[in-house]
Amino acid sequence: MPLAAADDSALYRIERESDTSVLRLSGDWGRAHRLPTSEALAAALTRDGAVRVVIDGGELTRAHPRVAAVVHALQQRLDRRDVDSRTRALPESIRSLMTLARPAPQTASVGRGPRWITRLGARGRGQFDAVLLVARLVGNAAAATPRLALGRAQARWPDFVALVRETGAASLPVVTVVNLLIGAVLGFVGAVQLNAFGAGLYLADLVGIAVAREMAAIMTAFIMAGRVGATFAAHLATMEANEEIDALRMIGVAPFEYLVLPRLAALTLMMPLLFLYAATLGIVGGMIVGDLVLNTSPMSFLGRLEDAVAARHFVIGFVKAVCFGVLIALASCHMGMRAGRNAAEVGRAATRTVVVSIIGIIVIDAIFALCTNALGV
Amino acid sequence: MARLSDTNAPDRGIVVRDLRMHFGETLVQRDLSFHVARASIFVIMGVSGCGKSTLLRHMIDLQQSAQGDISFDGQRLWTRDAAERAALQRRIGVLFQSTALWSSMTVGDNVALPMQLHTRLGAAEIRDQVAFKLALVGLAGQESRMPSELSGGMKKRAGIARAIALDPDYLFLDEPSAGLDPMTSQRLDTLIMRLRDALSLSVVAVTHELPSIFTIADDSIYLDDEQRTAIAHGDPRELAERAEHARVRAFLNREPLAERDDEEPIHGN
Repeated sequence: MPLAAADDSALYRIERESDTSVLRLSGDWGRAHRLPTSEALAAALTRDGAVRVVIDGGELTRAHPRVAAVVHALQQRLDRRDVDSRTRALPESIRSLMTLARPAPQTASVGRGPRWITRLGARGRGQFDAVLLVARLVGNAAAATPRLALGRAQARWPDFVALVRETGAASLPVVTVVNLLIGAVLGFVGAVQLNAFGAGLYLADLVGIAVAREMAAIMTAFIMAGRVGATFAAHLATMEANEEIDALRMIGVAPFEYLVLPRLAALTLMMPLLFLYAATLGIVGGMIVGDLVLNTSPMSFLGRLEDAVAARHFVIGFVKAVCFGVLIALASCHMGMRAGRNAAEVGRAATRTVVVSIIGIIVIDAIFALCTNALGV
Repeated sequence: MARLSDTNAPDRGIVVRDLRMHFGETLVQRDLSFHVARASIFVIMGVSGCGKSTLLRHMIDLQQSAQGDISFDGQRLWTRDAAERAALQRRIGVLFQSTALWSSMTVGDNVALPMQLHTRLGAAEIRDQVAFKLALVGLAGQESRMPSELSGGMKKRAGIARAIALDPDYLFLDEPSAGLDPMTSQRLDTLIMRLRDALSLSVVAVTHELPSIFTIADDSIYLDDEQRTAIAHGDPRELAERAEHARVRAFLNREPLAERDDEEPIHGN
């Protein structure tokens, strides 16, 4: 293969004949690494006020389609500048290509985009619509719950059971590892600090309250947002992209009842159960560390726990877990069902679900902290 | 220069020799040998599930076979190293059955991407080329549309624009007119024939749409799902009248199969 020209100088030259610019195309355009652009050529050809342009292809050594593309674009540009252009000695195959590219009359012209103020307004309305959608989703959920409780919702039992398994049983390994370790870390930090004051006895108070009231629910919710929320969102977004949700509507099934309700129910049911499991494991983690670091026997740890950690701490954690479950389910279904119809949107829906869920979990937790503080519980 | 001078030399175009294709343990087709001439349209036909698309996937190197040989202009496909195969693959444009336009990119970006990856052309140079490819398929000025905003026929056209982005010598079409109305389908056929002439493309099309077959095919092959090999080869218009096998004539004339001797007995009677 001969060395390809690094610039486009070997591909054309411009000559001037009175008020006519002549563009002489030459060489092998297929091998070139740089091509002249129609923009640059149009500017160069009309620089000195030429009113006519002749495009001459007599010196081309190969009839490559790239020539046709540039000549086509150049002629359109010259047309717009009211410069008369014609071609001569173009190879037959280039000419037939250019005939094929001649614009069909029915092609709709693409107008200029809307002004910035219009775009800003559209964006604002878009945000408002998004809030409305969330409100509608929450309203739908509230309205449909009695129907679900009475077993009159359009959901299928096998789907629900599969979802419960997916959210509950299948999450157990991750929940186990994370909460056991969180309890152990809390226990270790607590043991070192409390021991400095000779208050090692109170390790059970620290671990018990922190785990039951905050950590078990929050960590489990984070896991569920990443594991289950993202799955739900990606699944529903794919269904939307494949028109599966439209197909459901057409057989008279309300997508909300068929798709959202079972997921909402499964997560709302499983989250508090997983919370109880997680809290137990967290406390066990703290207890093991207490035994290893402070030599507190498990019996005395549990005895202290019974005195120190009132049932209300568990109740607060339990209620939070239910709220987190509702949040994750609604966020994932919402993101999934409003995703656009392409592959990238599926991924984006999953990511958005996780981000929104995590922020929501922290916000709900903060609200709970404020409320319980005000109530003195 | 002189791309067309030796069009009809026997090793020009695509040559398939003794190809045998398996799907796992199942034999799909065997003993396939044919020649796709330069600047012609070759149609692979047959009933659903006979292995048409599998053959196409072998020819574009998405699937390989242990037996047989495919060569493009005398270059054997499967004996080359990875870089040479990739270079050969760039001379092949493919319109996939579902068009496979990248849904997160605009139509213009879909056509531009192959050029961005495989040429050193700059953005403005690529813009000229993209505008022309879209004009060629009748989508002038539609660069900024998303694939989801296009109709079925327009998607196929955009898919063809992307397939010819690198000015290939060979164009493969997997069911180009499936799911299109007769008018759109006919316009697409015209486009394919014009591109063949203007770009001197060798086109290989997999299809079972009869009107399309009779309009565009210069040559064809019929893959039989029972004998698991090609049982007819030639101009489909002639095959419709004079094919040796009744199944080929029945297929091309859209008639019920008259002779039933070679069919398996129906079970459960």
